[in-house]
This record gives sequence, C-alpha cells and structure tokens, in this order.
Amino acid sequence: MVGRFLFFFLQCLALCVALPSFAGEITGQVLRKDGAGIAQAVVFVQALPVGVAAPTGPWKAEMDQMQREFTPSVLPIAVGTEVRFPNRDQIHHHVYSFSRTKSFELPLYKDEEAAPVLFDKSGIVKIGCNIHDWMTATIFVVPTPYFVLSDEAGRFHLKDLPAGNYPLAVWHESSLAKPEDTVQTVQVGTQTSEVSFALETAPPRPRPGSRKGGGY
Amino acid sequence: MRGWWARSRLRTKIFLVFSGLILAVLLLTLGATQLVVSRQTQATLRHELWTTGQVFQGLVQERTSRLLTNSTLLAGDFALKRVLATYDATTLMSAALSYQQRIGVDLLWITDEHGAVLADARGHQRPGASLAQVSPIKEALTLGDAASVIAEVEAGLFQLVAVPVHGPDVIGFLILGQAIDDVFAEQLEHDTGSHVAFLTATRVFASSFSGAERAKFVALEQTASALLAEHALQEPFLFRLGDERFLSLVSVIEAHLSSPLYVVLLGSYDEAFAPFYMLRRRILLIGAGGLVMALLVGVGLAGGITAPVQTLVAGMREVLKGNLGYRSGIDRDDEIGFLANAFNEMVGGLEEREKIRDLMNKVVSPEIAHEMLQHGVTLGGEVREVTVLFADIRGFTSFSEGMPPQDLLRLLNAYLGRMSRIIERENGVIDKYIGDEVMAVFGTPLAQPDHAVRAVAAAVEMLRELAGFNAEQQAVSPLVPRLRIGIGIATGPVVAGNVGSPERLNYTVLGDTVNLASRLQSLTKDYGTALLMSGLTYEQVAQRFPCRFLGQVVVRGRQEETALYTVQRDDVGGTE
Repeated sequence: MVGRFLFFFLQCLALCVALPSFAGEITGQVLRKDGAGIAQAVVFVQALPVGVAAPTGPWKAEMDQMQREFTPSVLPIAVGTEVRFPNRDQIHHHVYSFSRTKSFELPLYKDEEAAPVLFDKSGIVKIGCNIHDWMTATIFVVPTPYFVLSDEAGRFHLKDLPAGNYPLAVWHESSLAKPEDTVQTVQVGTQTSEVSFALETAPPRPRPGSRKGGGY
Repeated sequence: MRGWWARSRLRTKIFLVFSGLILAVLLLTLGATQLVVSRQTQATLRHELWTTGQVFQGLVQERTSRLLTNSTLLAGDFALKRVLATYDATTLMSAALSYQQRIGVDLLWITDEHGAVLADARGHQRPGASLAQVSPIKEALTLGDAASVIAEVEAGLFQLVAVPVHGPDVIGFLILGQAIDDVFAEQLEHDTGSHVAFLTATRVFASSFSGAERAKFVALEQTASALLAEHALQEPFLFRLGDERFLSLVSVIEAHLSSPLYVVLLGSYDEAFAPFYMLRRRILLIGAGGLVMALLVGVGLAGGITAPVQTLVAGMREVLKGNLGYRSGIDRDDEIGFLANAFNEMVGGLEEREKIRDLMNKVVSPEIAHEMLQHGVTLGGEVREVTVLFADIRGFTSFSEGMPPQDLLRLLNAYLGRMSRIIERENGVIDKYIGDEVMAVFGTPLAQPDHAVRAVAAAVEMLRELAGFNAEQQAVSPLVPRLRIGIGIATGPVVAGNVGSPERLNYTVLGDTVNLASRLQSLTKDYGTALLMSGLTYEQVAQRFPCRFLGQVVVRGRQEETALYTVQRDDVGGTE
C-alpha cells in the first residue's frame, strides 16, 4: 500500500518536472511550390528538445477496413503505439506489411478481433491487404508524440508543446524530399509560433493494383 | 548467186521449217511459263516474308507480354513477398530456383528495393551486387512499375522483364528473362517457315540455321555489317548462303546493346522456286520428247512427201540424159501418184515421138524431118533460092552387068553412105536417090546464106573421098572397078514444099534450077571434067574456090546460054 502511494507520488513529481508551467503552440501551412495547400501531410517533431520529457504511452490507434479501403489512409502515430485493424466489412481481409520499419501479417479474418500491432520503430509502414491489391494505407511512425495531419488547406496546429526549440519536419506521400531534409527549428514559447513548409511533390502515379472497382 | 536456202533440198526445207516451228513453240511456252511463274512466286515469297515479319513481331510481343504476365503474377504471390521480406540470401536463392522451374524461364533474379541482388536462380550474380544501373531494373526503379527490354546478359541475348514486388510498398524487384537463342530462333522458324537470325553488326547472337548452314552463317559475322549496310531496312533482297538463296528482310529490334540489334528473316528462295524448277524440268523434258517425236514425224513426213518427188527428179534426170525408157514405179492415188502417172505418160509420149523422129530421119533427111515436126506436114510450098547438086556414077550400067547383084548393092550402098555423109556434113539435104544418082539440096528447108559454097565444098570433098574409096576397094579386091562420078551444081530459085496427096507427101524441090543441075551433071562427060557449075553458082563461090570458065552452052530445054565453070583442081579437072 505504501509502495503504491510512493509510486503515485513519484509520478506526480515527474509530471510536475516535465510539464512547464505553460504550454506553447505551432501553427502553419504545408504548401506546394505553387502555393497550393497540401492535405494529409504529417507535421511532426523529429526530436525532443533537451530537458523536455515526452509523455509516455501506451498509445492506441485504429485503422479500419471499410468499403474495402483502409480508413484513414494516412495514420501518423508515435513510436510505441498499438494499432488495431478492425474489419468492418462483411468479407475477409488480410492486412500485412513487409516494410522494413514494421513487418507483420494479420492472416484472413472477418468477424473476430485481430490482435493489435505494436509499432516500436519510427518510419514509414505501408499497409496492404493481401487479397485486395488496391487497398493500401500508410502508417507514419513518428519518433515523438508531437505530430499533426494537415487539413484540406494544408494548415496544421500543434498544441501543448512545452517551451523549447523543436526540430519540426514534414512528410507527405508524394513529397520528393526526405522528412529529415525538411527540418525547421521552431522556438516554442508563450506565443504561437508560425511556420510553413514548401514541398516539391511528385505527380500522383497509378500503381499496379490500384484499380479499384473490379470488385471481388 | 542463189542463197543456201534456195539451193537446199525440199526435204531439208520441210524438216527445218517443221523443227523450227516446234522449237519456237517450245521456247515460247517455256519463256512465258517462266515469266509468269517467276513473277508469281516472287510476289508470293515477298508476301510470305512480309507476313512472317508480322507473325514474328506478334510472337515476340506475345512472348514479352507472357513474360510480363508471369512476372506480375509471381510478384503478386504473397509467399514470394513473405520470403523476399526475410532478405535471407540462402532462402531466396532456393526460392528463385523453385520459381524459375515453376514458370519455365531462362533467367530469374530477385533484388531488393534498391536493385541490389538478393538471388540469381542460375547463381551467376553475386548477392549484394547492385543492378540499379542495369536495364530494365533501372527503368523499373525510375517508374516504380514493370519494364521490359532486350539486353545482353553474360554473352547471351535475353528478353528481360523487371517488376516491382509490392509489400505493399516496393520491397524488391523480380527480374525474369527468356533467352533469345538458337532454340528460340528454331521455334520461330518452325512457327513461321522462314529462317530467323538475331545479329548486330559484329555478332550473330542466334540463328535458326543448324549444322553446316549455321557454320556458314556464323562465318558471315565479318560481313554482317556490310550485309546490313548494303540493304535498306524492310526492303526484301536476295541473300546467298553457300549454294542456297534467300529472300531476306532486315528489321531493327529495340534493344539495350552498344550497337543496333537486327533481326533478319530469310525465306528460302530456292525452296519456294523448287516447284517451278520441277515444272520447268518437266516442260523441258516433255518439250524435248515432243521435239524428238516431232522431228521423227517431220523426217517421216518430209520423206513421205519428198521421196516420190526425188524419184520423179531422178527419173527426170534419166530422161534428160536421153533414157526415154525410164518409168517411175510410184503407185499412189494422191497428187503425187497423178504426177507420177503423168510423168510416165509424158515420157512414153516422148519415147514414141523420138522413135518416129528416128524413123523419119531414115526416110527423110533430119532437117526435113525437123521441119516437118516443127511446122507440120501440109501441101504447098515456097520459092527459095537454093543450090542443087546431082552426082552420078559414070558407066554404072556397064559394070553392073558383070557383078553379082549383092556385091553391086553392097558397093552402091557403101558409096552412097560415104557421099551422103559428106553432103550432110555440109548441111545439104539428100532429096532422093535415083538409082546410083544422088540429088541433094543446099539452103532448104533451113535457110543458109552460103548454100552455094557449101554445095561446091561438098562436091570437092566427094571427089576426094571417092579417090580414097576407090583405093580401099582396090585394096580389098583388085577386081572391083574404079568408080568415076560426075557432079552438076546449079544455083537458083526453086519451089520447096510437100508434093503428093494429103495421105502421102514428099518434101522436095522443083523448078528450072533442078533441071539445070541435072543437065550439068550429064554434061560433065562432054567437057571432060568431074564437076560443072552454073554461072550463078560461080558468082557465089568465086571468092572461095579457084574456078575455070569452060564456055557458054544452051542447055536443052532452056532459051538463054548458061556459063559453065569447074573448080580448078587436080582431082577435079581430070577427065577420067
């Protein structure tokens, strides 16, 4: 009993040390070179500033299979997140990835719940369905818990950041630049910091197996 | 000078015309056949080659697409993705071998997503070696999609396909290859019927030739560039390989090589022409047979037509030579037979006529006989100037009494024969024999301007001949009396013609001149000379013979005087 109390106390102490007295915000826009906003871009903190302790998990996330598509198609998560892949269709799916970041396989399942998959390494994980080639999605595993998806206009809003200098990077599916090459250091203080990214994107190209509509 | 043709025999002409015609027809047939068939075959061959080119393109495309389908299917195989994701070289190596056998390709490589070799079913590629710059992996890497290319791999020509393996992002590449080798070329040959060769300017990669032909074709490597440079692409040309000719077509195939890759399609020209050659041989054979037969028939026919003609010609030669007894032995019912019969009848007629002429010559002099045959025998006559000669043996009656009649006749005939020949030699005509007397006429029926000269010359010759004759008779028998003659010659107009009844005629001369000549003959005894001629005769012969005037006399039965002359010669002048 005493041990439990002691543990709780220590937790509270750590929280007090980790969280500064106030939290900052970063807003901005991800734009193409021609000025158009880029939606579905992941803006994330590449590494935590010295002295800033990250909140720890366990974090959970979900990627549904609905109407023979993955939803969402781009899912940013923090390292250490467990992702569930619930099948909401009336047919079997076989979710897998042989990406170097995470290789896993959820053999054919329909009604029962598949075991959640733990993503313990940062990087890009392409998700596919073995029996439906057009079904693809991307799970972007971010090294820190600070990340956000840009909206339709390419705008993003990162909240609750402790003060510090953050290396901020962006990733998009069709970006020609690697995320580490987009890093911008942003100072987070009491005010909201503004930052914008300009990305060079490749024109979208059809992939074999992306021909949806053939049915099953 | 007549040409050779005109001098040739009828048989040769018929034969030559016959065989020439057949030969012309044969050559014309052969020429026309050759022209038509050759054109047709060439066109067919060109079309076949063109079709082969199309089929060939289709086959190559079909192979590429099959390769692409196979590799795409294999790349989508989940087991492959799973084993690829292990990135375990040994496992991948064995898997590659298994996949290669399953699909039946000649080459199968597996690389990682950057083009580094993970496995090579044939074990040639070193694991880890980068193929990122090698086609078609380079193109597949750039595109993120399947790419295919024809390229050289380890000294061989391959059709290569590279497809990305999605897991679902690109986790590697699968590269499948089919060799473009002799086996493939032979299969194409089997499918299209034309030889196929894949070559660059410096090297023959594959060909459907085998054995000696292959050796010959590969030996062409040095000349390959020349061969390719010489002929425009897609333009058929005739290519000779050893003894065989090929209609060939060169096209370029897109490939990743240092120099352009060509495919040469070779349709055997000789093979295509084989039926035509056989046809030509047969036509020649049939033609030669026909020619020989036609020649034989021609020879027979020409012989059949000309042989009787030859017989007739030979007969005609005989007739020309004078053999009128010749008869052709041709017995036919056609025109030739008619001709032969006509010939025989004609020669028969000639023979009969000749017999008559011969007989006539014995009865009448040849000239009269000729005149009669020429102008027919009609009563009446014409006035002509002639010279008439009478020759008579003196004292014939007296010595004929002492001789046996046979001996007398023999002597007379011998004498008359000798005298007659002399007269005839001078173209005189024996008008008649009156016992031992000869009457001859010069200048009719054939007109002779020198009839007087001829008469006198005959007379002089008769007298000389008589001397010889007497010497001969004496030599045989000294008892035979010497003959002495008197000759009277007169020149002047006479009536010459046929005298007698229409059934029986005599060609003779009548008139005062005849009487004068007879009288002169009688007068020779009185003047002691063997020859007496009238003044008119003298006038015509004075230039040719030395004459002597003997006097003027009124001949019995004539009003005016007649001058008498004789030839001044020893044997004439004597008065024996």
